[in-house]
Amino acid sequence: MEQRALMAQQLIDGSVIEACQQGDRDAFQLLFEAYKDKVFSIAVYSIGGDRALADDVTQQIFLKLFTAIRQFRGESEFTTWLYRLVVNACLDERRRRKRWLPWGETETVAMSSSGDRKPQEKQFARLEVAEAVREAIGELKPKFRLPILLKYIEGLSYEEIATVMGCSKGTVASRLNRGHSQLAKTLSHLNNPANWGE
Amino acid sequence: MFSKHVTKDISAYCHGELSAEESGRFAEHIISCADCRSKFDEIKFGVKLAEQLPQVEAPESLWANIRPSLGLERKISSLRLQWHTRVVAVAAVFVVIGGLGIWWLWGRGFKNKSFWEVQQLAGAPRIGSERIGKQARLGVGEWLETDASSRAQIAVGSIGTVDIDENTRVRLLETQPTEHRLELARGKMSAMIWAPPRLFFVDTPSAVAADLGCAYTLEVDDQGAGLLRVTSGWVALELKDRESFVPAGAVCETRPGVGPGTPYFEDAPATFRAALEKIDFEQDPSVRSAALDSMLNEARARDTLTLWHLLARVEGADRVRVYDKMAAFVPPPAGVTREGILELNQEMLDRWKYELELNWNRSGSVLPKVVADGYFRVKNGVSRRLKEVAPR
Repeated sequence: MEQRALMAQQLIDGSVIEACQQGDRDAFQLLFEAYKDKVFSIAVYSIGGDRALADDVTQQIFLKLFTAIRQFRGESEFTTWLYRLVVNACLDERRRRKRWLPWGETETVAMSSSGDRKPQEKQFARLEVAEAVREAIGELKPKFRLPILLKYIEGLSYEEIATVMGCSKGTVASRLNRGHSQLAKTLSHLNNPANWGE
Repeated sequence: MFSKHVTKDISAYCHGELSAEESGRFAEHIISCADCRSKFDEIKFGVKLAEQLPQVEAPESLWANIRPSLGLERKISSLRLQWHTRVVAVAAVFVVIGGLGIWWLWGRGFKNKSFWEVQQLAGAPRIGSERIGKQARLGVGEWLETDASSRAQIAVGSIGTVDIDENTRVRLLETQPTEHRLELARGKMSAMIWAPPRLFFVDTPSAVAADLGCAYTLEVDDQGAGLLRVTSGWVALELKDRESFVPAGAVCETRPGVGPGTPYFEDAPATFRAALEKIDFEQDPSVRSAALDSMLNEARARDTLTLWHLLARVEGADRVRVYDKMAAFVPPPAGVTREGILELNQEMLDRWKYELELNWNRSGSVLPKVVADGYFRVKNGVSRRLKEVAPR
């Protein structure tokens, strides 16, 4: 699935965006295939792991994208523009609900790779770490959580994260520092090679 | 002058977001400052954790739910056929690549993809139970072993090389962008690393060697005791709370159950070295105190490397004697007090160490320029040129 998304992303260029702006549904489907997993990941981690709610939010984001894409003028990277839309939608959802749900209070997400579990102890240990990291990410304040999601899920640079979040690069660096530090403290018990299948 | 703390830049450093000049300042500072180094290790662990965050697949039903809402917006586009073609092409390529991927994984028996390249230098080294040819790959978790007539060289990703001597046993523990880790169970290895500090680690039975941009040899005997000899740059030896910084020209011994001993320069007088061994590894306090007398009598200005480390390893009157000897060679800088040092105030210890380092490196440079230049070139993606500047 990830490979399919990657290949779809490689096909996204100016002409695809232009076709989307003209209302071409097939072009939009290509756009959807390219970014659906990343957008869904941001949504699911941002709203505390509630998969059904993340599904709703992701739908809203793509519907809004379909309307708003006409306003995209190409003055910035398309991905930066898209993730700004995603971040705003997630923050709006938070405001609407008044608070961010604590991780695990609702039907939480199953890891995408859960079906790939292999009997090897090492693989299992890695999955356990990933599960613990997901929970710890859910406990971060939104201002520390979002830069981490944009960095590790979307692979954005500090400059791109700053543009998406409407802050300076220094603020991004500082928030990532705080986020990393909190993760390390929360999961300090995993700072042992045995937890990493070594 | 002791440079400004760099904690705010740690994540940016880990992500390669700093300029070469900023990275240089960061690396120099972190070698001298225990507080920043401790924070660096914490945040680096946070980075390692965050890298485990998996992407979540969107449900298959998502597009089916969105599509009806797009119906009214639909327009016939002249490009439509082209998009159909593209989608079909994407699917076809996906099927082919997927098939090739399954075939490849099947052929490899689903082994871990992380590995280092190994080159045979002499004889027949083994990876696991198999003899290697001229070239081989060392996967994470695999052992590389040489006998009395074989040697090998490992390419540590793009950050350096490790030569494995005869009768040596090493295992690759981890190779990640933020950490490369090797285990040396016994034997001797020589490392030449041109990466930023604290990216390459070697675990031994009695300490962990953390690279600070350097070249060094490390030996472990059958009892697990180790000997580190640094030929360029710096190496830190660590075990729990015990830490030794070893610059070029210095050596440091390690013992199981004790950890790293105190580093000393190889040209230190023999009586000085013999006394230090007693201080590090003897249990009897009277023997240790007598050895300290002998050591202080023989100490030179350059041996403040050893004395600085001893401050935290001796107590009471012995610590005062070590302080007085050091202050006679190099007085503490302004703002660093006798009381603060005797109480082991870490910031004061670091500031004094910064002044003392001028005596430890014959070149007078805190970080040897050739090493600093080398690893910042790598950091900026010009690793191929490194061999021109790396010391032979």
